[in-house]
Amino acid sequence: MSTSSNNTASVGSKISVRGLRKSFGSNEVLKGLDVEITEGEVVCVIGPSGSGKSTFLRCLNKLDELSAGTVIVDGFNLGDKTVDLNEVRQHIGMVFQHFNLFPHMTVLQNIMLAPVELKKESKVDARATALTLLDRVGLADKADARPGQLSGGQKQRVAIARSLAVNPDIMLFDEATSALDPEMVGEVLQVIRDLAAEGMTMVVVTHEMGFAREVADRVIFMADGVIVEEGTPAELFGNPQQERTQDFLAKVL
Amino acid sequence: MNMSRARKLSVAVTALLALASGFAGVSAVAASQPNSHVQPQAAVAGETYVIGTDTTFAPFEYRKDGELTGIDMDLIRDIAANQGFTVEIKSLGFDAALQALQSNQVDGVIAGMSITDERKLVFDFSDPYFDSGVQMAVAEDNTEITGYADLAGETVVAKRGSEGETFANSIKDEYGFTVKALADSATMYDDVKAGNSVAVFDDYPVLAYGINQNNGLKSVTEKEQGSSYGFAVNKGQNPELLAAFNTGLAELKSNGEYQSILDTYLKQPAPVAASGFFGLLSDSLPALMKGLGLTLLATGLSIVVALVLGVLFGFFKVSESRVLRGLASIYVSIFRGTPLLVQAFFFYFGLPQLTGQPIDVLTAGVLTLSLNAGAYMTEIVRGGIQSVDPGQTEAGRSLGLGYVTTMRRVVLPQAVKIMTPSFINQFVMTLKDTSLLAVIGFAELTYQGQQIYAANFRTGETLLIVAALYFIVINLLTMLSNKLDKRFNK
Repeated sequence: MSTSSNNTASVGSKISVRGLRKSFGSNEVLKGLDVEITEGEVVCVIGPSGSGKSTFLRCLNKLDELSAGTVIVDGFNLGDKTVDLNEVRQHIGMVFQHFNLFPHMTVLQNIMLAPVELKKESKVDARATALTLLDRVGLADKADARPGQLSGGQKQRVAIARSLAVNPDIMLFDEATSALDPEMVGEVLQVIRDLAAEGMTMVVVTHEMGFAREVADRVIFMADGVIVEEGTPAELFGNPQQERTQDFLAKVL
Repeated sequence: MNMSRARKLSVAVTALLALASGFAGVSAVAASQPNSHVQPQAAVAGETYVIGTDTTFAPFEYRKDGELTGIDMDLIRDIAANQGFTVEIKSLGFDAALQALQSNQVDGVIAGMSITDERKLVFDFSDPYFDSGVQMAVAEDNTEITGYADLAGETVVAKRGSEGETFANSIKDEYGFTVKALADSATMYDDVKAGNSVAVFDDYPVLAYGINQNNGLKSVTEKEQGSSYGFAVNKGQNPELLAAFNTGLAELKSNGEYQSILDTYLKQPAPVAASGFFGLLSDSLPALMKGLGLTLLATGLSIVVALVLGVLFGFFKVSESRVLRGLASIYVSIFRGTPLLVQAFFFYFGLPQLTGQPIDVLTAGVLTLSLNAGAYMTEIVRGGIQSVDPGQTEAGRSLGLGYVTTMRRVVLPQAVKIMTPSFINQFVMTLKDTSLLAVIGFAELTYQGQQIYAANFRTGETLLIVAALYFIVINLLTMLSNKLDKRFNK
């Protein structure tokens, strides 16, 4: 596991972001980001609300259009019109704050949908994979439940299993525990922690500072659409260089 | 009906006589049957002409046991037989028949129409076939109105665009009354009986026939010297049809057939004994059921087309293309922003005038209803899709599923569930809207009801039956739809 930040494109670069800008109308949310993430790296993004953390994450699989700059993921340039986004997205799993499970399907159907529709697996194989994934997130007994019957923590674990079903090599977490009751945060963080331990490349937008400190290889602090400071958890939490980082950490820690 | 049956009999008898008595018989056939094979009008022989008429102008045209009958009907059919052409009668309503003639939807109109200078500007008229005149009638129990002088400050009713209206307007200032126009005789009589108007001005044969049918009115003035009725074709069109009508009319007059037609309808028809409500029910049910069938047919076809339009334009509305969104918005605002009735008139009368291509009434009706309902369906589809949490689409897309797959597997199943109650609602609305197609002469349930009370003047009871049929069918269909909704959208 790499332990230091790396601002130049390296051979092992999994995600390469250059001069990324994003505006909604006249409101510029991202004002030029440069980020390199290497394979197997776990990057946590922290910062106050409205700093652009989530937008940055959504630009990495192009759920939001880029206004300027380049994003290269797994060698695919997302700005290139000829790139098949659906293909790229199969390499990138995404977990949302509000789970976004499909309410009209069972847990198993939620997980099997993409592998079957994308013809990656036969129904029988997809079912076996889904059951394995459910077992992995500790919900093997919920296969035939509907999302409405699950607790928030269970829903989020199903959502993680669902995004793992297409076998991604990058995972994006968008405030995955923010909508959860406190007693359920732990079970979800544990799943993410396990993924990190397996060497998954991950970008985690989070408010859980303790988790970031524990799991991250690198922490990025964003404010007002720019990266204010980044470093190892020890550097950023132990010895923040910028005043804004210090202010923010003083409030949340 | 009686006329033509009697004629056939006489033909058969004379034919037998001819066989029996040789030469003398042959001349008898020629005399009593100066028909197609004797002196056919070359131009019209074998042709079929579409003739428009009023729905409710007894005794000139009305329905008896579901069949169109009356002076005009017997006259045009006998003239057609006499001149060797065929007619297809379209019972449209007076205004509608004239508009249909102008848009060449029909070849001719016979509808107890007065020959006036104004009408001569747009139509060519035959020789007059009936001398009419306007008469005034009041409710049977009204003893206060005995002449025009008693009308001061009152409201009278006349048929829109008719000679009665013209006459009433010509004397309204002199006597100080107000004229209200309605579309058909039965409605006018009910208006007088209900006390909304004190008197009605109508053509005397119509009035006389209605009074004899116990319509609850009495005439209180002498007939005004009026104009004459003529058969009309569109200006400059079908001159051979007009010529054939004139020749045929002259022949019917000379052989006595004309007078016998008039006598059948005008010479003191016996007052009909009013049957009870259940008598009316059993008499009217066959025609009403036929109408109900057409109502359901038009509803079914319209809903299917509207569903296709709604889904298509609904997707346009939520698409990323500005052009498609604009297209859908224009479509919706046009059809939601104009009355259905105006749309029906436009598609049936206006469109043929613009394109020169006639359109049949079912097509025009379904076109109207489906385009109209389609606009509402578009909004239902748009609303349904947009009410699904955008996070659902994002989840689908982030898994690598394409737009279509995400729509099909993730968004639509949820949207359809949201839309279904609105769909059922629109379905019921469209079924009820079919009743508006009565105005363009589409023979659906309401139209059949109008036909029935136009002939028997039992408006209230007939409408009650019509309303009950709508009520039963709509509630049955709603129950069925809700049951299906529950089953498939758990």
